Amino acid sequence: MPATDYQASFLGRISIRRNQVIAMDGNHEQELQDLELFSKHVSERFAELLSSPDDVPFDALLSISWLRKLLDFFLCCEAEFKGILMMGNDPSQISKPPLDRLIPEFLDRSVKALDVCNAVTNGLESVRHYQKLAEIVVSALEQKPIGDGQSRRAKKALTSLMSAMNVDDKECSAAKATERSWSFSRRGVSSKDRVPEHFRSVSNQVAKNWSAAKQIQAMTNNLVPPRGAEGSGLASPVYTMNVIMVFVMWALVAAIPCQERNGLSAIHFPAPKQLNWAQSIIGLHEKIGEEWKKKEKKGTAGLLDEMQKMEKLGNILMDFTDSFQFHGDITGQKAEEAAAHAAELAETCRRMEEGLLPLQMQIREVFHRIVKTRTELLNALDQVGKSPPPLL
Amino acid sequence: MDGCRSGVPTYEGDLHVVAAAHHIVKALGATKNLSDDLRKILIDLDSHLSMITSNIDSKGGRGLVDVEERLDQAERKIMRWETDPMMIWDSGPKEASDYLEAVDETGKLVDGLRGLSVHENRKQKEILHRAMNILQTAMSRLEEELIHILVRHGQQFEPKNMYSRSIRKDIVYDESFVSVEDEPTKETSSQNCSNNESGECIVDLVHADVIPDIKSIAKVMFTSNYGPEFCEAFISVQKEALEQYFSFLGTENLSIEDVLKMEWTCLSSKMNKWTWSMKIIVRVYLASEKQLCDQVLGGLGSVSSYCFLEISKATILCLLNFGEAVAMGPHRPEKLLRLLDMYETLADLLRDIDTLFSEEAGSFIQLQFHELLERLGESAIAAFKAFRVAISSNRSLYPFAGGGVHPLNKYVMNYIRMFPEYCSTLNLLLKNQHPGVADQVTKPDYGPDTSLLTSCPMAYHLRSITSCLESNLHKKSQLYKDEALQHIFLMNNIHYLVQKVKGSELRLFFGDEWIRKHNAMFQQHAMNYERATWSSVVSFLKDNNPGSSSMSKSTFKERCKGFSIAFEEVYKTQTRWSIPDPQLREDLRISTSLKVVLAYRTFLGRNLAYTDDKCVKHTVEHVENSLLDLFGGSSRSLRNSCRW
Repeated sequence: MPATDYQASFLGRISIRRNQVIAMDGNHEQELQDLELFSKHVSERFAELLSSPDDVPFDALLSISWLRKLLDFFLCCEAEFKGILMMGNDPSQISKPPLDRLIPEFLDRSVKALDVCNAVTNGLESVRHYQKLAEIVVSALEQKPIGDGQSRRAKKALTSLMSAMNVDDKECSAAKATERSWSFSRRGVSSKDRVPEHFRSVSNQVAKNWSAAKQIQAMTNNLVPPRGAEGSGLASPVYTMNVIMVFVMWALVAAIPCQERNGLSAIHFPAPKQLNWAQSIIGLHEKIGEEWKKKEKKGTAGLLDEMQKMEKLGNILMDFTDSFQFHGDITGQKAEEAAAHAAELAETCRRMEEGLLPLQMQIREVFHRIVKTRTELLNALDQVGKSPPPLL
Repeated sequence: MDGCRSGVPTYEGDLHVVAAAHHIVKALGATKNLSDDLRKILIDLDSHLSMITSNIDSKGGRGLVDVEERLDQAERKIMRWETDPMMIWDSGPKEASDYLEAVDETGKLVDGLRGLSVHENRKQKEILHRAMNILQTAMSRLEEELIHILVRHGQQFEPKNMYSRSIRKDIVYDESFVSVEDEPTKETSSQNCSNNESGECIVDLVHADVIPDIKSIAKVMFTSNYGPEFCEAFISVQKEALEQYFSFLGTENLSIEDVLKMEWTCLSSKMNKWTWSMKIIVRVYLASEKQLCDQVLGGLGSVSSYCFLEISKATILCLLNFGEAVAMGPHRPEKLLRLLDMYETLADLLRDIDTLFSEEAGSFIQLQFHELLERLGESAIAAFKAFRVAISSNRSLYPFAGGGVHPLNKYVMNYIRMFPEYCSTLNLLLKNQHPGVADQVTKPDYGPDTSLLTSCPMAYHLRSITSCLESNLHKKSQLYKDEALQHIFLMNNIHYLVQKVKGSELRLFFGDEWIRKHNAMFQQHAMNYERATWSSVVSFLKDNNPGSSSMSKSTFKERCKGFSIAFEEVYKTQTRWSIPDPQLREDLRISTSLKVVLAYRTFLGRNLAYTDDKCVKHTVEHVENSLLDLFGGSSRSLRNSCRW
């Protein structure tokens, strides 16, 4: 199949169109250039995200710094998108077909994305909690030589950590979890180091019965690439931005514990391969989707690279503390291995300490940006002549 | 401590030095007013020195034996509780202090043993591990005790007593005009507690008696480097307590999507609730929580503010999100007052927030608050504009029956009557907003005492709103075919406008000049009405030849008939019209009466000769009485009911 024929690239199609509309005014020409530039940038940015090396821990796929880059790119794309839409020569375009349908749909998705942002912000609070527990593990195991006391201390924190990750992953209904009462069950637990059961707090909920997976699923409704003549107009950047937004939200939910994520991997969003800019996004979607399927089998709390590390190291160190209690004093190679794992955990904690708060703030920035654009678009729609709703 | 790791002294002289140093350290440790850091250093030093001493005396391991004995003792005290079903702090203060002492002793031994170079001595290492194991057991136990104390002595407080629930007005401004009755508003003040300094609203979230216990647990856990465990337990209990309180207030988490879809009456009550909960949560609950954190963790650097932030963050974000959702929603005019409530509450709380989250870690929360305030302000302005737009774009297809006060007028005037309560906020928000183009606002030119209020931004906007309203009413009046009814309608409505202004604080913002002008306006419409209705009727009674004494009978008959028909026609039509204000109705009747009855009486008087004729259909009294039936709002007819 010749590339120029069937799989004619998005850019290619634009230039064909351009030849057809050569007679049109210069403004239109400018607009076409802007569109071209926009999709080029999108394509470049996501290609960079896709090519993130897995072996370099700092920039690995779905690591904190990778997510921060993703959000950065989102903000850049969003700004360019808004520029194309609002600075355009003819503001009344947004109230004409097909934008009169596409823009309200886009705004609808924006609102849904806001709730996802909030869910992720809550999720990051949980991750910060894991970090604190892991730090206890590290500080217990850092002491040398390790005795029974530290090993028990580490084990206690590890147990809390693993159960916390587990609860957040179980997607259990929060209502049930909050009925826990501290006052009973304290005594009478025979274990030497009682671990307080983890609870999922109400304030970590977006709303009762809210589901991140369903929310994202709903965002993909009606998301179809523009067809025919629409493909050359503003419909195409709107579509692109929609896909970017859905993808970014989807990736965040996959990475960070969120309220109800069942069925996340079943979400498909139709981004046709023949569109240049979409290829990297499709690539990322496939890659992360694979990871998610593995996760669903294994039962990990989230795909956040640092969390996966934490979980892996947590399991290893848990085995270590178990065997420690069984065998008593452990020296030599095993102890050295444990120390190395503890050091690795410490490094993971350090990266979380550095990155989580900025990530949380960045998500908030995304939130505010979406709100702002929404307001501006609504105002623009208003001004274009829709009369305000009557008072009566 | 590393500096002390110089090894064990070997001869007498050193022994004395160590003993002397130990003595000084003990003496120093007994002084009060020590900073916690310094005290900790002294404690470390103390246990270290005692270790060295015991090591020195022991030439043959006697010191370690001593250490072991001390550890055994502490261990007995600590392990005893592991099988006891009672909680230590529930068992009595003696038990608690014994336990703490044993833990403290163990901690000292651990520190001391660690300070020695343990690698060389197997026995030492063994004791150290044992001590640390005991310490771990004790720490785990303390964590549990802490949670138990916090839960058991946590105190609920009734929000009802804190802030009166009555937010300024509970009239819900929904979209329907019908529900807005012209009733006097009860000005209930909600400022009961909000003027208090934040200090006055602090409650004990945990019973004051147990604070020293919590403090002592904090102290020993932090001394033993178990601070993170303490924070973990403390935060989780307090965070949950806050969440429980939050749901106790009846506030629930809502997604932004839910808020945007919510119908107005429901949203309005949620907005009210938010305003109320926000005040209680920030000014009472969080202020108290902050105090608790400071009491318990005061001397530990940033630990207190870290814990406070972790406890409160989720709930605060939840409250903020509702605010964001509301600010994002469609800017409907009816939202304005609720938005202003939210804005004022937040503005009022900003200082508290800035104090509560003054540390760097809290700046995120601070920032979110400031952003939300800005957003609510923008949203309020947008709602304000929407209100104006809604007024000027309100269209009617049919004339309003009877010419009475139009619902739009009622709605608008009852609504803006609330504005003076939000005066300072509205002035702040509207400062840079221009009232708009269709603005024929009279420049106020009054005495110095009123000029401040009449020339503030809100006053301009108020006058601009009413002038919008007036021009819309003028448009509505054009729907009447009858010119007289147009004037009745305008008279009624402008009179209503003036009454509303005069009868409320609005008068201060509109000013006397405005009132005078509008009084004149409705009076002018009254006069115009009279001219439009009665000139033609009265013209039958006019003498065309003022010189001659009387007219011919046939002319009289003709005039009489003409008058009767015209009068009956007016009667029939205008009894249907309405002037809701009794005083205004009365005034207009009197002035009509003066004009019509007088003319009729003169007319009949001048033609006395013919008056017994059948052609005089109505007596003067009858005309006078009939005039009383006008503007009653229900159509009547003279032909059927009153026949002579």
